[in-house]
Amino acid sequence: MKGAETVNWTKDKSILLSQICTAIFALLLAALDIGCYWAVHWFIRLRNMNWQKGIAFMVTIYLCSVFAWLLLYGLWKLLGNMKSGRVFVEENVRRLRTVSWCCVGAAVICFASCVYYLPFLFVSVAAAFMALIVRIVKNVFQQANAMKSELDFTV
Amino acid sequence: MEILVNLDVMMAKRKISSGELAERIGITPANLSILKTNKAKAIRFSTLAALCRELQCQPGDLLEFKDDQDDQ
Repeated sequence: MKGAETVNWTKDKSILLSQICTAIFALLLAALDIGCYWAVHWFIRLRNMNWQKGIAFMVTIYLCSVFAWLLLYGLWKLLGNMKSGRVFVEENVRRLRTVSWCCVGAAVICFASCVYYLPFLFVSVAAAFMALIVRIVKNVFQQANAMKSELDFTV
Repeated sequence: MEILVNLDVMMAKRKISSGELAERIGITPANLSILKTNKAKAIRFSTLAALCRELQCQPGDLLEFKDDQDDQ
């Protein structure tokens, strides 16, 4: 009994930690959205770039930011569902699919941004790889959901 | 191609209610309802054995194979 309580405590704390991390990333993203102009201004001065590139940077950042907000919202709702014990449900599969497509969206934008700043290619590849991982996790959830539904209807 | 559960027919023959049968075989009325309405995806041998014992019948009396091609 004591062991089961310990496991439960760890599981709840783990989800709480993930939620805290998600909130931290949301704060960082909000800070980036607010301070984008100054950050880009500082960066283009550091690298001696022209202001046209600065505008292109801002467009890339804000477009990626839209996907990042959708991704963080999806993760937050997913963790909320897990906290309330609803793990292998259709809603979570849908959320993971959205998260995966958000990564793909960010990867495409970053890939297009390679035109004016080549290092965006690394971000693009990282985002595409993350999309692949999330997609595989989504497939696992989908399969588990089907198995759970079969188990629920086994009498 | 599906397996049909003719539980309601056998229950009517034995004159036994859903609640009573569920209690006797040790499953919830909700699960018995899943069986009766053919929504179940699988049935455990222990449940089938308990049903046969209480309804005094054979598994073949409860389960029926229906081929969709017969309907066409």
